[in-house]
Parts: sequence; structure tokens; C-alpha cells
Amino acid sequence: MKGILNKLRKKNLIAFISFWIILFLYFLAITADFIAPYPFNKQFRNYPLCPPTKVHFFDKNKKFHLRPFVYEYKLINPALNQYEILTEKICPIYFFVKGERRKILGLFYSDRYLFGTKEGKIFLFGTDMHGRDIFSRIVYGARISLSIGILGVLTSFFLGFLIGGISGYFGGKIDNIIMRIVEIFMVFPSFYLMLSLRAAFPINLSSFQVYLLIVVILSFIGWAGLARIIRGMVLSIKEEEYVLAAKALGLSTFKIIFKHIIPNTFSYSITAITLSIPGYILGESTLSLLGLGIQEPYPSWGNMLSVCIGNLRILSTAPWMLISGFFIFLTIISFNFLGDGLRDVLDPKNW
Amino acid sequence: MCLTQKIGKMEEILIVENISVGNEELEILRDISFDVKKNEIISIVGESGCGKSMTLRTIIRLLPKNLKILNGDIIFEGMKLKDLKEKEMNRIRGKKIGMIFQEPSSYLNPLFTIGNQIEEAIEGNIKKREKKEMVIKILKEMGLPITTYYQYPHQLSGGMQQRAMIAIALINGPSLLLADEPTTALDVTTAFSIINLLKNLVTNHNLSILFVTHDISLANHISDRIIVMYGGTIVEIGKSKEIYENPLHPYTKKLIECLPQRYKKGERIKTIEGEVPFFKNLPAGCPFSQRCDYKMKICEEQKPGKIFFENRIVKCFKYGNIVES
Repeated sequence: MKGILNKLRKKNLIAFISFWIILFLYFLAITADFIAPYPFNKQFRNYPLCPPTKVHFFDKNKKFHLRPFVYEYKLINPALNQYEILTEKICPIYFFVKGERRKILGLFYSDRYLFGTKEGKIFLFGTDMHGRDIFSRIVYGARISLSIGILGVLTSFFLGFLIGGISGYFGGKIDNIIMRIVEIFMVFPSFYLMLSLRAAFPINLSSFQVYLLIVVILSFIGWAGLARIIRGMVLSIKEEEYVLAAKALGLSTFKIIFKHIIPNTFSYSITAITLSIPGYILGESTLSLLGLGIQEPYPSWGNMLSVCIGNLRILSTAPWMLISGFFIFLTIISFNFLGDGLRDVLDPKNW
Repeated sequence: MCLTQKIGKMEEILIVENISVGNEELEILRDISFDVKKNEIISIVGESGCGKSMTLRTIIRLLPKNLKILNGDIIFEGMKLKDLKEKEMNRIRGKKIGMIFQEPSSYLNPLFTIGNQIEEAIEGNIKKREKKEMVIKILKEMGLPITTYYQYPHQLSGGMQQRAMIAIALINGPSLLLADEPTTALDVTTAFSIINLLKNLVTNHNLSILFVTHDISLANHISDRIIVMYGGTIVEIGKSKEIYENPLHPYTKKLIECLPQRYKKGERIKTIEGEVPFFKNLPAGCPFSQRCDYKMKICEEQKPGKIFFENRIVKCFKYGNIVES
């Protein structure tokens, strides 16, 4: 692992940076309870569509403060969501500040968070129309958006390896039948298949059920292409000499497939995994964007964007609402760069 | 060679009887019969495409999918290998019959350490620690450093890889080792050390070796008996020394004539004119008839049968008019 990272840094710096960005995003998602200054569903009625709070070091008299601080915002025109910055009062930012009691990681309660203010409010990315802190929602939304990618990929890779492996190794009739089934899945445009599959289930499911449903739908669509690729690789690897040697050792078919053939597809499939995670994140975002995915008040990066659809006023007056789109972009481009980098590094010909 | 004299007293562990291999369209092995005795090294010699490797793969039943054993019997330690189910066959492969191959680098899985690959071959429920002890013991015996246990195939030299392959083949203590040109991909000195290793194994491990090579002088050096194959059939069987010094079949003669060590500096080395015929267009008569200097009329029309001549089996009309049944 360390060797791979070192090679990645030397060969492809962007991929190396992407790796750390991804790690950071996952870290955010895991520690969301601790990092988010407010709960994701906490509504501040006095702060609808509040712009991002600026963090200052110098007050209006140009005096330097070692502890960064924010000013309080006051709604002056509720119709146009215009705010006045009250520069008289300084609200310093404290680390490990006391707040509402929250359960951390579902394990224990804590009332201290990474950062916050004692007076005034801090909205790093502003608020939405209900006055909910977008930064907190982004951090909580990362949990859903990022874990759906991993879970979906793992499920479809499991299916892909199993079905593609069997199809490629045994060949002949089995291969023929499995590949025709795979083609049925592949001829449908995946977007419409996804929508119609979602439509086949009731709309008023609990958010956890919806979450699982999305994972199932996405991997149901994703496994076919993968099984086909794995089958192709198995077809060529099973002719390798070490497979013949394993047969001459009298190893069982199961052991030959899963110990000698499948691991040799890993240099490809690790790359494929990183390159296909964005597809799953986008799939979840698309479903949520269309209102078929994760439902309010639970945040996901997709449904946070969905508020902006067809609402030009928001786009012009509160562009910070689009920040979740930036996070989707950042995650996807990082995964793509990382996948590219891994492909170069894991290629056995470069050893 | 001291082993040669013992042959008569030794019992056979492998008997191959009139094996032919092929499918509906072609027959690639025809009428193969020989036996391997206990503690004996027996070599199969011939050019590329004569069916040497196929013979080995027939014995361990790893033929390509489109080929099967048409008739004949393979009897190994009293078991008829031809009739065994795949599952029963798996209990013999790697346990009773080991196999090593030509190019060790491609026959070792590049993703796992040598220790891992040898351990994987160990049969039965044995504790992890005991397995490791077994592996280290056999690595020592093969003349490999213990660090090899933690190394990957690409970190080893060709000779070390071949030693590791032999370790995998021998870990379960088989009674027969099939060696498919194990020294072809190695340089001469490494090949020599591997050959010596194999020779020592015969006595230490109570092993018989069926050794495939295209080098008849190497075969003479290592083995007690030599089988010469041509065009998918055996043309001559006999004791190594006798075959090497007094070849009977014209093909064996030509093979020995081609050896470079028989020529002085500046002399032109003879080759065998023509090529090994492809299995689809084997001549109707003796397979060697197209390239043979002693060709008679009958050679082109009929296949020669087995002739027992001077303590040897030879298939040539030169030594008698016996037609293949």
C-alpha cells in the first residue's frame, strides 16, 4: 500500500492529491456528527438563504485578532432575503465549542463540536430557504452520497466477479446463456432502466429503505457490463500457464477461479472500481435530483441540488446553494484521476 | 550408470498401453506404450511437435478440451487413470503425480509468494505453522535460501524459479514426477544443477521421473532409458547408453548426428532435412518416410509395427517386416 502510494506520487501527482482529497471527504463523512456545527435538520427561521458567513481576522478598525471571528447577520428584507452585517459586535470562533447534545457515530453523546461560535451563527456555505446550515448538510450528505458509491460498487463487483468468473471459466453453453442475459441488461438505456425500476417501488418508503433501494437499483444496472469484462479477462487468464500448473496440482475448480484467476484481474478491477464509483454517486444524485431518491429532510448532495432546479431566483440571489454540485464534481474528478493513476501504477508491465 | 543395472529387478509404477489420443478428425498420439519403473528416470526425446508434451498431459489427464483418449489404458500404481472421475483424478494430481514445466516464470502465479504457492499445494488439514515448516524444509532441500519463502516469482532467477516449481511438485511426496522440458529455458550451468538435483531426488524421495527433452545427449546423461518419439508415435525405446551409442531407427540416428559436440571446429553441422509433418497430413506409411535416407517402397504404404530387436523396441521396416496392427 505504501509502495503504491509512493509510486503514485512520483508518477502521477494529480492522482496522489486526488487520493488524499477522497480520503478527506470520507473522513468528513465519517466524523460528520463532530464536524458539522449544527444538526442537518436544524432550521434557523431568522436566517433563510443567508449568504456564507465571512471569517475575519481584522475588525473594522483594522485591528488584528489572533482568534478568527464572524459578524452577526440580520435579515432586513425578508421578501428579497437581504441581510445587514452587524459590524459592531465581534463573534469569535472557538474550537471544541459547546452546543446541543448529539449522538456521535451512533455510539456516544457529546455536546462539543469541532468549531462554532458562542454568540451569533456561523454558516460557512450559507443557508438554504429553510434556514438550514448548508455546510452541515454537505457534511451529512457526504455520508449518503459517498457510501452509496462504495456499497453499489461492491455489490455489483461481487455479482460481476461471480457471474463473469463462472461464465468465463466454464465457457460453452453456460457462457452463452449468461452472456445473453447480460446483453438484455446492457441494451436498456441505464437511465430509463433506473427510473422505471425506481417507479416500480412505492414512493413513500422510509429514507433507509430508499437508501438500500438505490444501492440495489444501481448495482442491478451496473453488474452486467462488469460481468462481461471479467468474463473476457477470465477467458484469457484461464489459458495462462500457471492455471494449467494449478490444475496439475489437482486444485479444485473453485480454488482455481478464486485464487488463481480472479486475483489476476485485480490490477484491472481496482482501477475499474475507482472509475465506476462516480457513476454510482451520479446515479444517486440523479435520482435524488428528480425527487425519487433520498427525501427531505435527509440531505444528499443530489437532493440538495434538486431545490435549485427550475428556480432562477435562487440561482441569481443565492448561488451558494449550488455548492453541493461542486462537491459532486470534486469527488467524481478525484475518483477519475485516482483511477487513471492506479491503472498506470498497478500495471504489472511497469513493475 | 549404476541405476541402469537395477532396472530388471524394479517394479513398474506406470504402464501406458496402446494409448491413442485425438478426436473424430485427427489422431495426434498413436499406439503409445511404455512403462516407468520405480526409481527410474526415463526420457522422451523428439523434435517439437512430435507429441512429447501431449504424452505427459495425457498421463495426468490435462488434455485440451477438443482432444480425448480414444483407446488404450494408463495404469498408475494399479489404478486405471483413464476411468477415474475428475474428482478422483484431482486426488492423484499433485499428490501422487507431480508435474514441472518448461518455463517456470509463467507457470508460477505472479501474485503470490513462493511460500504461499507451495503451502497451497499441501494436501490435507495441516496447521499453518506445520505447513510453513514443511515448506522451509523442502526449500532447503532444493538448495533455495529460506528468504525465498517471502519472495514473489519475479524476484527469483530462472533457476530458482524452477527449483521452486520442483518444490511445489514434490511437497506431497509423489511417486512419479512428470518433467516437461524443465531445463529448456535455462542456461547450461543452471540446467546442469537442476539435472543433478533431479537425479538426487530419485534416490532421496523414492521417485520416478518421466523427463521430456529435445536434447538426446541430455537424455543420455540423465536417464536410464530413452523413448524416441516422432509424428505422434514411439519409434524407439531402449536403454540410454545403447540408444546413444548404437541408434537403430533412422530418426534416432539423425538426431544424434545433429549434436554439435560431435563436430570439430569449422565443420558444418548436419541437420535433418524437412520438417515434422503436421498431424493432419501425416504420410500414410511410416511418419518418418518423407525424411528418411533408407526409405523403401513399403515405408510409404504401411505403418511399421513394433519390432523387438537387440533388447530394444523399434518401429522400422529396416529390422523386420512387421506391419502395425
